[in-house]
Amino acid sequence: MGMILKIALRNIIRHKRRTILSAITIAFGLMVFIAMDSVLSGIDRISIDNMITLSTGALKIQTVAYDKEKNTFPLSYTLDSSLAQLTASLAGDRRVRHVTRRTQFIGQLSNYTETVPVVGTVIDPSTDSLVFGLAPYVKGAFFGPESGREIIIGRQLALDLGVGVGDNITLYALTRYDSRNADVFRIVGVIGTADPSINHSGVFLTFAAANDFLDLDNGVTELDVAMARQSSLPRFAREVQDVQKSVQTQFPQLRVNSFLDIGANVMELTKAKRMSGMVIMGIILVIAVVGIFNTVFMSVYERIREIGVLRAHGMKPRDINALFLLEGVATGALGSVIGLALGCLINVYLVSTGIPMDKAVGSIAEASYGITGNVYGQWNVSAMIVVFVLGIAIATIAGIIPSRRASKIQVTEALRFN
Amino acid sequence: MPLLDIKNVKKEYRKGDKSVTALSGVNLAIDKGEFLSIVGPSGSGKSTLLNIVGCLDTPTSGSVLYNGRELGGLSEQQLSDYRRDNIAFIFQSYNLIPVLTVRENVELPLVIERKYSKSEMAQKALAVIESVGLGGMADRLPRELSGGQEQRVAIARALVKDPLVVLADEPTANLDSATAEDVITIMQTMNSKRVTTFVFSTHDLRMERHAKRIVTLRDGAIEKDERRQ
Repeated sequence: MGMILKIALRNIIRHKRRTILSAITIAFGLMVFIAMDSVLSGIDRISIDNMITLSTGALKIQTVAYDKEKNTFPLSYTLDSSLAQLTASLAGDRRVRHVTRRTQFIGQLSNYTETVPVVGTVIDPSTDSLVFGLAPYVKGAFFGPESGREIIIGRQLALDLGVGVGDNITLYALTRYDSRNADVFRIVGVIGTADPSINHSGVFLTFAAANDFLDLDNGVTELDVAMARQSSLPRFAREVQDVQKSVQTQFPQLRVNSFLDIGANVMELTKAKRMSGMVIMGIILVIAVVGIFNTVFMSVYERIREIGVLRAHGMKPRDINALFLLEGVATGALGSVIGLALGCLINVYLVSTGIPMDKAVGSIAEASYGITGNVYGQWNVSAMIVVFVLGIAIATIAGIIPSRRASKIQVTEALRFN
Repeated sequence: MPLLDIKNVKKEYRKGDKSVTALSGVNLAIDKGEFLSIVGPSGSGKSTLLNIVGCLDTPTSGSVLYNGRELGGLSEQQLSDYRRDNIAFIFQSYNLIPVLTVRENVELPLVIERKYSKSEMAQKALAVIESVGLGGMADRLPRELSGGQEQRVAIARALVKDPLVVLADEPTANLDSATAEDVITIMQTMNSKRVTTFVFSTHDLRMERHAKRIVTLRDGAIEKDERRQ
């Protein structure tokens, strides 16, 4: 095996240009794979982080009855009876960072000439910003502790109705007791987030304003839980699911949903995006396969007489096979190492500086990905290991056919070959 | 009992739709220690006969016996083993492995044989390199050698495993007169010192002159078989 390895490695060095070209093909494939995986992971992470900070929280706790009818946003299924016990329990869990209460309702917003359906969210301004991150997206002002009849509305909603900060607007809704109510609110802020549903149909009130308007009497339909963000999404998801399980066990009358449950469609979209990325990566890897295949074939063709000599001296076909296979594997390993190094270098940039998504794909990014600003890459060590091994495996597979061909060449034909 | 006994060997090739007869019933017995030259015009079947004797090719009919053992019907693997253990080759165009040094090229048959330790292989290789007059060139690559030196390396590679038979196909064809004489002398010395059997095909009259036995082939059959003292 030592001599076979020696011949294989020296041939790789001898045919520098061909080796470098093949290694570059593999390296390019790996580098693009690592960079794409990093960016896709970054996009996924931003989408999921946005979902958590803008709408789902890590956990959302509602009554079982509310959960069943949640599409109608019923005000009658409140957490009132369990609220104190639930809040105390969550406060005792070190994994839980903050908790806030919210109540959602449906209504209509009118500027007297046009009426638009909206989804209203009643928030507690003193704790909401600890769980959700709405304030930075608000133009105008976020609710203060003394907020009265004030409202924050979605950016697109404001555009559709031709209103802005400081204007008054009329909100219609059914109260907790199913009677219709309408009231005029002053717009203190316009919110434009990465969540299109907030921009198009979201309105926000404080409990102080909603108690009166919706006969809410501080009724809370959901409790939202924030947990410490972790750089590893799977680890974060596991921790959230652990807390979910523990709360669910303690409060069987309630429904505890994690961001994974609520954002199932976002998670599915994430998977779909991954698949499309994989297809592109697959194409790149096929190119790499062709490169290696070509290299080993060229090598076999150029060295047919050498094969004849080795066979004449008694070298077995399997050793000839191993010789050429090793050349493919070594070229693949070289390409994989270079690709991994380049991929890591690019990833350092992607993780630290990121890609300005607005400039790269414009408003599509916001509409389809829920992303604004920079997308930062993610370190995905397991994917890097997989792709490194894959690079070598691909080179091995690509070398199989030409190597087998080499081992089957008739000795006399090989020796006659010019 | 002859070392190699070729009995009524026929070889036909397919060339498109046609069948071409390369050997038509050759009978030849070769004893241990012979220095035998196969001569004849191009296309007379010299290389085919060497290939069959060297188990690089199989006859269409007839048999080849080595030390009384029939070689027909051996598998590809067994033929590889037979070549590895008994036969060495010298080629017209040397066919050294370009990425290996002189020593490594000479060691190659021993590596394939897998009988010796690294140091034993190096020792044997250096001794035979010395004996063909290339002492001090063991670490050179083939591209750093002249044609004559390359053929000497090829001879050293053939002799390093002490084969019973060395088959050489036109070993001096690419060499100038002086170098060819050197190569012939080396082969003769090895033949007499080691009692190695040499069978070589040639067009070269210089080689013919040194042969102890000359077999002339014409149209795939033996025309003449003469022995010299």
